[in-house]
Amino acid sequence: MYHIEGTDYLKQKYYTKTKSICPECMDKIDAIIVEEDGEIWMKKTCPEHGDFKDKISSDPKYYKWTHYGTDEWSFEKNGETNPPDIKGKDPRGCPYNCGLCEEHISTCQLALIDLTNRCNMNCNFCYANVKKSGYLVEPSLEDIDRVMKHFRSKPIPPVAIMFTGGEPTVRKDFPEICAMAKKHGFKEVITATNGYGFQKKNGGLEWTKKVYEAGLDTLYFQFDGINNATLEKTRGIKNLIGYKERVIENCRKAGLTSVVLVQTVVKGITDVEIGNVVQFAIDNIDVVRGITYQPVSLCGRITAEEMQDLRITNADVIKEVERQTGGKIGINNSWYPLSTIVEFGRIVSYLAGVEPIEFTCHPDCGFATYLVVDPKTNEMVPIMDYFDPLKIVDFSNRFWKKIKGKEKKQVKFFENFVGDFGKTLDKGVNWLDKQQLKVRFLTGMLQYTKKPGKLMEMFSRMLLNGRWESVSAFTHGTLLISSMHFQDAYNLNIERCKRCIVHFGVAMPDGSVFESPFCTMNTLHRPVIEKKVAKATTDKVNNEFDTSKGQAIEDLAQEVAYNGGIDKKEE
Amino acid sequence: MSHDVFETKDGLKLRKLVDLKPTTAKEYQDAMLHRVEKFSKRQDSPFNDFIENTVVQGLRFILDSKVKIDNMLGENKEKVQNIIEKILLAGL
Ligand code: SF4
Ligand code: SF4
Repeated sequence: MYHIEGTDYLKQKYYTKTKSICPECMDKIDAIIVEEDGEIWMKKTCPEHGDFKDKISSDPKYYKWTHYGTDEWSFEKNGETNPPDIKGKDPRGCPYNCGLCEEHISTCQLALIDLTNRCNMNCNFCYANVKKSGYLVEPSLEDIDRVMKHFRSKPIPPVAIMFTGGEPTVRKDFPEICAMAKKHGFKEVITATNGYGFQKKNGGLEWTKKVYEAGLDTLYFQFDGINNATLEKTRGIKNLIGYKERVIENCRKAGLTSVVLVQTVVKGITDVEIGNVVQFAIDNIDVVRGITYQPVSLCGRITAEEMQDLRITNADVIKEVERQTGGKIGINNSWYPLSTIVEFGRIVSYLAGVEPIEFTCHPDCGFATYLVVDPKTNEMVPIMDYFDPLKIVDFSNRFWKKIKGKEKKQVKFFENFVGDFGKTLDKGVNWLDKQQLKVRFLTGMLQYTKKPGKLMEMFSRMLLNGRWESVSAFTHGTLLISSMHFQDAYNLNIERCKRCIVHFGVAMPDGSVFESPFCTMNTLHRPVIEKKVAKATTDKVNNEFDTSKGQAIEDLAQEVAYNGGIDKKEE
Repeated sequence: MSHDVFETKDGLKLRKLVDLKPTTAKEYQDAMLHRVEKFSKRQDSPFNDFIENTVVQGLRFILDSKVKIDNMLGENKEKVQNIIEKILLAGL
């Protein structure tokens, strides 16, 4: 945080104005974000429903650092936007005009498709579930194809897609959908999952192999802790640990070595397991690529006191990681907002001529750090032991400022004199220019690299070719720990909405695709949109799972027939 | 697996401190190499590119030497870095 040490900015109390919504009537209202009593708060007043106050961060210094801006340094960035899909009609503007409307200032980096709202579980804080909503939402293969096309046909298309739900793996055509995503050019195909398809005692391994071969790259795997009691509290199912371990085991056997553990952080319930999850990831580092903490979003009407009890922020999570890892992954030196690497990414993409990755989300949205194994001590250490990340970022920012726009100003000197042959010469000049830029940039990166080794080899490959294969190989040498705090009606900040990089795509009955940022979709648009695409549910759909066991009724019947009952000894 | 585990009165097993030592460190390092192997099977893989492989080898050598020089420079490292940075950004 050396940028702000000793500055007046650090001494002053934080204050900024923004817009939010009233959690009761959902109308747009003014909000301020202020430092009070050693914490950062959002305060807002609805003329009809009164005052609301919600904690945004429990660490003012860290918060201020992530909101500090100079000519050279700022975490608040605008993306290279794609042309809007629609012209916003609601005069109130964002967040009512999704989307994407002309106010949006980031491109989508992760496309999301809800494959179904059927689920084998019935988690208490889940928003999308056939049982709770009373209708079925399940796009056809043609619908899915349309949404994928929509995303991939943008000038700056997302490289990654994630299937969400419900539980995506309950769909029989799931392998086909993975293959379809690859065909559309998504480099990284991810599924959010509680593990259903992967854990099956009969056929789970074969299924895992099948979806891996079809194109699935990564599991975004619901994993709240390693104690059955914790999982029972969050998911309402007994003895889930065996289920979770089977997923990891089958992925290991199938060679699907990219599992991200996703822990929903609920105060007093799962936050105590943060250290456990880090340790579980480390113990299974051959298949686990990362951990994502998701501080729980709050829905429905809650009192100010309840809010105090339940609210947990990104900073709380980061501090808990620090505490539960004995200070080894510290808030002051290990964590960075996702937008930190924007310029770095732009340089790599320009120099290597690949699709850019633009993490231009708001600095309040997500934070991340990497751990790597130190081959000498065999201990996992923050990646800062290998790099000087702030220096790398500073250098990248300066470098980008100098070369920005070069891609639009290609040399066209010889073309004017010798026509087509001149074009070839110009190409050569441009190529040479890129090579000299590459050498400069690589040398700059090497300056701030502290240790040699295999990991650094992968890093230099990433810089040289910018290809997804290199990024993937690099991440296979690391453990990414991140935290993304999705917004709810209490803390919604339209500056965050406008910069969202995680977008749902929904195939609408009129043939269009509705694209909406994750947070506005879940806070505002979901009920309206889902009703437009919903189908009537049937008894078969309602009764296909025993949601107290998380298993298909069919499988349970088979278990009973074979050996007299599922998990007999576990009961 | 860390042994520094205690049990709460509700029977939850929690760690006092994560020791951050993987038991599968070797497999982990292999995971990266397996990935490379998998990609190398594709014809257009960057891992099969002769020029790139040579450059990467060269960079490895440069980085080795650079780390040694850094150690020798001690406190002057930052000054030298600033000068090099200026050179790298000059004329852009
Ligand atoms: S979130 Fe984006 S798409 Fe939606 S209304 Fe706001 S600016 Fe428009
Ligand atoms: S999904 Fe929500 S938290 Fe994540 S980038 Fe979008 S606005 Fe931010």
